[in-house]
Amino acid sequence: MTRAAVRTAELTAPPVSRVGEEARRQLRDRLLSRVSASIAGLPPGGQVEVTLPLLRRALVHPDRPAMDEEPFAWKPVFVRRSLGLAVVSACATGRFRGPTEAVVPIATDAVAEWERTGWRTFHWEPWFSGLPSGARAVVLADAVGWATSLWTAFDWTAFAQVPQIGGADDHWTCPAPRTVRLKGRSEMRVPLTAPGSVPRGRQWSDTPVALVSVSGGCPERGWAEGLAYLALTAGLRSSSLPVPARVMGLWPDAGIHRTVDVDERALEAAADRVARTVGVVVGARVSTAPPG
Amino acid sequence: MAKDVTVASGLIGAEATGHSAGPLFMRVTPAVHTVAMLQMDVDRHAGILRAGGGRSRSTSDSHGGSRSRREEIACGQAWSHPWRPLAGPALLERLRVTGRPRPKVDPEFVFRLRCHLDAELATDSAGEGRGDGHGAPGQGSGSGAGAGAGAGPGGGEGSGASGPGDTLSRLSPLVVTKDRLTRVLSCEAHYVAAEFGERTPTPAMACGAIVDVLFRQLVCVGSIGDPMADGLAALSVDDHQRGLLSWIEQLLPRDREGLRAEVERQAEGLQLRWPALESGWLPRTQEAIRAQLAGGSVELSARVDLAIGRPAEDEASVAIVEIKSGARRPGHRADLHFYALVEALRSWAPPFVVATYYTRTGELDVDPVTDELLVEAAGRTLIGARALRRVADGIEPVGSPGTLCGSCAVLPECGPGRERLEGLGGRDTTRGEDR
Repeated sequence: MTRAAVRTAELTAPPVSRVGEEARRQLRDRLLSRVSASIAGLPPGGQVEVTLPLLRRALVHPDRPAMDEEPFAWKPVFVRRSLGLAVVSACATGRFRGPTEAVVPIATDAVAEWERTGWRTFHWEPWFSGLPSGARAVVLADAVGWATSLWTAFDWTAFAQVPQIGGADDHWTCPAPRTVRLKGRSEMRVPLTAPGSVPRGRQWSDTPVALVSVSGGCPERGWAEGLAYLALTAGLRSSSLPVPARVMGLWPDAGIHRTVDVDERALEAAADRVARTVGVVVGARVSTAPPG
Repeated sequence: MAKDVTVASGLIGAEATGHSAGPLFMRVTPAVHTVAMLQMDVDRHAGILRAGGGRSRSTSDSHGGSRSRREEIACGQAWSHPWRPLAGPALLERLRVTGRPRPKVDPEFVFRLRCHLDAELATDSAGEGRGDGHGAPGQGSGSGAGAGAGAGPGGGEGSGASGPGDTLSRLSPLVVTKDRLTRVLSCEAHYVAAEFGERTPTPAMACGAIVDVLFRQLVCVGSIGDPMADGLAALSVDDHQRGLLSWIEQLLPRDREGLRAEVERQAEGLQLRWPALESGWLPRTQEAIRAQLAGGSVELSARVDLAIGRPAEDEASVAIVEIKSGARRPGHRADLHFYALVEALRSWAPPFVVATYYTRTGELDVDPVTDELLVEAAGRTLIGARALRRVADGIEPVGSPGTLCGSCAVLPECGPGRERLEGLGGRDTTRGEDR
């Protein structure tokens, strides 16, 4: 078996456990209680958006958990994921043989669609279309590299169905006295169905899924809680969908993958990490706030 | 204007080749390249030579190579021709067919290599009493974590979880790159002096940065428009290149024209010689590769200009190519071997070949990867990592006189360096660093 095949088998193995509705409700209450305590020091109107990068940063740099605030400006690094996901999706459905072949037509089509209808599939179309050719090439090459790492991570013929690639982020707003929003972003959602089974109607809503998350660099401390955080956010977002049963993290730069089978303990650890992170962020903001 | 261009090109050539520009700016190319370079026109899509390319039309053989070239070599004619750079299918063939069998994928061997590095680097930490007692990154996070990543020769792939150094990692890993390795092994004192503060841009650095992005463009998009404009546009979207870009923009017109001339010359060579790479070979540029060692306390890190090939199954299947716009240096091979080591540790399979492509001349240096090469690279990396750790720990760096002395900021305080220079009559005509 190739390493990609081993990884795919690990991702798509039957779920180890299932988190029930009662457990989900208790988890929500626990998170709310802990976050409410952490957020109390924040001035009225203040809010915190929790993301996986913030969780990581708060652990490594608790003194400065927030990234330096810079006015947003498009860069190739902001495009490579969305374009890369579209490229992988197109390859997975057989439209193209590989990322290099796919990237130019996909970017060109996106720009053409935006020019024709004004609709921005990716948001970066106006910026990209205004770039000179050399800068465009950097954007495309970055996306190819990103897409290739995901494309080669799995044996795509082994999936019972083509997984959902990309899609909307998971959001959950905590009903605390100050706004705390959890945002989870995963690159793939893979239905954990028996091989050969066929979806019928809305039955997919009951099917447990595995999430895949791609990160740069090497796994850092607390990687397991970080992966479970993605399942936590997805699980809180919608009570009508099952909590993801598994999260696989890929660190292509380092050739590493790690998997968390999601159970109540994993989710509790992730919820505790969220609460600690909110506390760190609030503490940092309060300490840097101007007097008075 | 033409003279200005020549002069500036000469300066760039001198920077790139390591030769002193001298009052006459004579040396644009080193002695081995003084023969006029012949170029072939290659249809990038078909990989077939066009008329006027100086060679008969060739057909691809089973390796995608040029049959006519093989015939030439077979009948001994090749050696009567002046040297000329490989192009199109022949260039690919040189990469693909190294003359050695491709290494079998042997996770057991890579595991032993990793264990050796882990043990030696962890011992290093322990001996110096610098371990901070933290678990390895990714360890002990606990709950519900079924880590699919236990390191082991059976195809597992986690690296942070392996080795005897797990309890000795530091908060921030010691990052080992090819440049740091080369510099610290050349001279610890120079490394320390040069580590802090920005490197002053040079025409050679500017040329190298632009050619790198043009090569990416060629591989990804298949064509280059106006090389200088494309190159500068590419640098403009890279935050790390702001300083260099600003420096280029402030060049005097004649220096800028010189840079343009050299960039255009090299870009033309690239377009003429580099064939299109099939999408199925998964070409990717500027690929980051890393390997954590000693429980995460050391991180080997590299960024390869071009990687081609699908992930290995039974035998090594990836080729790594480094692009250099300057002159050949012996140290470039050590860089390649470092890449091979990091890729082997990362993927549990080495690349089957590592190569440097020189855009000034079209030379292609190819190194088939063997177990011996990896062991040697591991040994060098170990020595370098220890030196890097010593200087990071503030231990007095050792001065090793060499080719860097002439441009070293601490030369006035460096006894061995001054002695060397005095031995050379005060004039060091060598330069140790380039792109």
